[in-house]
Amino acid sequence: MMREEIFLGNGAVALGLLESGSQVVTSYPGTPSSEILPEVVRLIKSEGLNTYVEWSTNEKVALDNAFAAAVSGKRAACCMKQVGLNVAADSLMSAAYLGTVGGLVIVSCDDPGPHSSQTEQDTRLMARLAKVPVLDPSNPKEAREMARLAMELSEEFRIPVILRPAIRVCHARQALSWGPLKNNTKKASFEKDPGRWAATPRFRFILHGELNEKLKKIARRFEGLTAHNFHDLEPGKKYPLGIIAGGVPYSVIRDILLEKDRKDIPVLKIGTPYPFPEALADTFMSACEKVLVLEETDTVMEYFLRDRQKVLGRLSGHVPSEGELVPQIVYSLVDKVLKDLGLIPFKGDGNQDALDLVASLDLPVRRPTLCAGCPHRASFFAIRKARPKAIFTSDIGCYTLGLNLGGVDTCLDMGAAITMASGFYHSFDQDQVAQPIVATIGDSTFFHSGTAGLLNAVYNDARFILVILDNEITAMTGMQPTPGLGIRADGSKGKAISLERVVAGCGVDFVEVVDPYDIKAMTKLLKKATEYVNSSTGGIAVIIARHPCVIAYPKEAITERKSVMVTDDCTECSFCLERFECPALYHDEELGRTNINHSLCTQCGVCLQICPKGAIVEA
Amino acid sequence: MQTVNIVLSGLGGQGILFMTKVLAQAALNKGLKTMGAETHGMAQRGGSVISHLRLGEVEGSLVRTGSAHFLLALEENEAYRNIPFLAKGGRLYANASPKSFARQEVKPYLDKMEIVYRAVPAEKIAAGLGTPMSSNLALLGFFSAFEKDLVTHKELRNAIDQVTPSRFKKINFKVFDAGFEMGTQ
Repeated sequence: MMREEIFLGNGAVALGLLESGSQVVTSYPGTPSSEILPEVVRLIKSEGLNTYVEWSTNEKVALDNAFAAAVSGKRAACCMKQVGLNVAADSLMSAAYLGTVGGLVIVSCDDPGPHSSQTEQDTRLMARLAKVPVLDPSNPKEAREMARLAMELSEEFRIPVILRPAIRVCHARQALSWGPLKNNTKKASFEKDPGRWAATPRFRFILHGELNEKLKKIARRFEGLTAHNFHDLEPGKKYPLGIIAGGVPYSVIRDILLEKDRKDIPVLKIGTPYPFPEALADTFMSACEKVLVLEETDTVMEYFLRDRQKVLGRLSGHVPSEGELVPQIVYSLVDKVLKDLGLIPFKGDGNQDALDLVASLDLPVRRPTLCAGCPHRASFFAIRKARPKAIFTSDIGCYTLGLNLGGVDTCLDMGAAITMASGFYHSFDQDQVAQPIVATIGDSTFFHSGTAGLLNAVYNDARFILVILDNEITAMTGMQPTPGLGIRADGSKGKAISLERVVAGCGVDFVEVVDPYDIKAMTKLLKKATEYVNSSTGGIAVIIARHPCVIAYPKEAITERKSVMVTDDCTECSFCLERFECPALYHDEELGRTNINHSLCTQCGVCLQICPKGAIVEA
Repeated sequence: MQTVNIVLSGLGGQGILFMTKVLAQAALNKGLKTMGAETHGMAQRGGSVISHLRLGEVEGSLVRTGSAHFLLALEENEAYRNIPFLAKGGRLYANASPKSFARQEVKPYLDKMEIVYRAVPAEKIAAGLGTPMSSNLALLGFFSAFEKDLVTHKELRNAIDQVTPSRFKKINFKVFDAGFEMGTQ
């Protein structure tokens, strides 16, 4: 029986993957992709499917695992965020040459804005680099259809196919009607063929030729793929301006043109930016005097449209080269193009006076902060107290917000807390400068990319303190389990990996565990670690600051609730507000002191340890 | 039917996603097409959070500035910040003190644009019932007292019933109904 349900875009992707018979789905969480695997799990449980799912330790691991499944003839998918595809790029580039036997869909979710990423990079460029097809959905409904199409294309042409939903697809909600899902009963088999699966460079040259041939065939297929590549030209009619759009910007411009009843501006929608359907684009171009290209986030289609006189877009300065193409931006830029070309502009100006009014109000900027009761806050407080002059290298996760507490100086990529720490150490050591360095990395990030850097640092005799902030969860992306927890993606029991043993296995001789809620104990341990790092017989000191995430495990995180209050001893020095920055602490203008917002306070009691005047006390 | 655009705003952790889910479910129950956009990721840690909800035949999930029919704000500053989304004649519901809302500086603009604005102390209502984090339901209840043409109190209540885990149902209804009562007074 079909039923109608509101799906998150990522749920629509999950649905499409399962409808296409995915037997293996792997992923590493990262905004905006994180909900795909949990949605797969929800659906396989409700439908009784035997799909194998895993949270892999990182994106490369996820892709290699899914690739092997596809080589064994099965249908497999692998989901990640766009910067995760960088980690998996080594695997992707090679997999494109080797090809598949079954189906392999790589879902890489882009983050124009960026909202929750270190770059705005465009997965379509990675697809172009790897020479694999990429599908670019405009909304959840199309993402579901494209997930199915991607799997079919992949199996038919024996090539990995990328599905690239952007954040506004991933985190859109749309009602979809769907029905019972069936298990795919395809059995695994592996035919040995070393010339392909273990190809040496000579064979790689041949495989490259094969790949190029596949792309030509797929390009021809895309020319006639009217479900996702289509235009609304009237036969024989000429237009002063046409728009070529794909992905989210297509849905935005279509809504605007419909609202404004602008049938005089035709649109060519491209759902398959690579390989690019050139003949279709040529047809459209020849009917229009000028063509405006709307795509996120980089220039991909624009490069394929080789007429520089005709094409307006990023290269001509008509479309912003950074940031998200939200409706008001698309509206204004198209309006400007209309005016420049002497065509009828849109009415209205997108509420510029309201935007000016809001700017004049000087509203407080709401920066994200660590949650009230977050154990990372306690860790950062102790670190700054014990090593105030250190360089604080850090990493990607909730704890990047240690920035607000002055506990984070750098954040490059997954695992760089450790590799930048060793890099800084050697740079200063070369000049005989003993620069203190404290690196912070979360447990999930450490499992993702920490060990190679730590091995390297130990081997090359770098000296720094590494604090692993172990909250027993991948918190920022929505509470996925880590290998340390021993719970797998489907909730079943896995083998818990001991951080202590991994760290010791990397050759570290100083490994100690502390509960950061005890700021005194942690400060003391940091001082001991400093002595070890500085001693001639010492090395890298690793402290595992272990305390459960207050959101994921509220009961375990706060076992003893302490109601706190601020006394008149408070001198309004702001030390607690700046250095501890708990959302439950605020400056009370009327009382002339710090006060507690009890609706935000988790009663963790950590702040009882921080006031230099002793003004925060138990109530 | 003509497209209805709704913007919901507040701070991470206030339950914007849940409020959006309830409204979307209520619309789906009425047979309306729904399309929404949510904020996930880093901003959920206390930053400004915004949800878009569009009812009708639309392709895109985002509401353009100047085209929202409704703005629901769980925090006063977030209400002001998102005023540019409102269309002429739009309606603004905010978790704020009815005595002081809206700020003097914005009133001329709201009046000029014929925007109806109503404030309800949603957080106080929720805190009074022992659940300060449920101000989202109090605001929704208040909203349902005025916007029967869009969605009735009963329709929203049914949607809450559908999307609330069973252990929170009783308290959610209590806060929602209290918000509604405040609106009908």
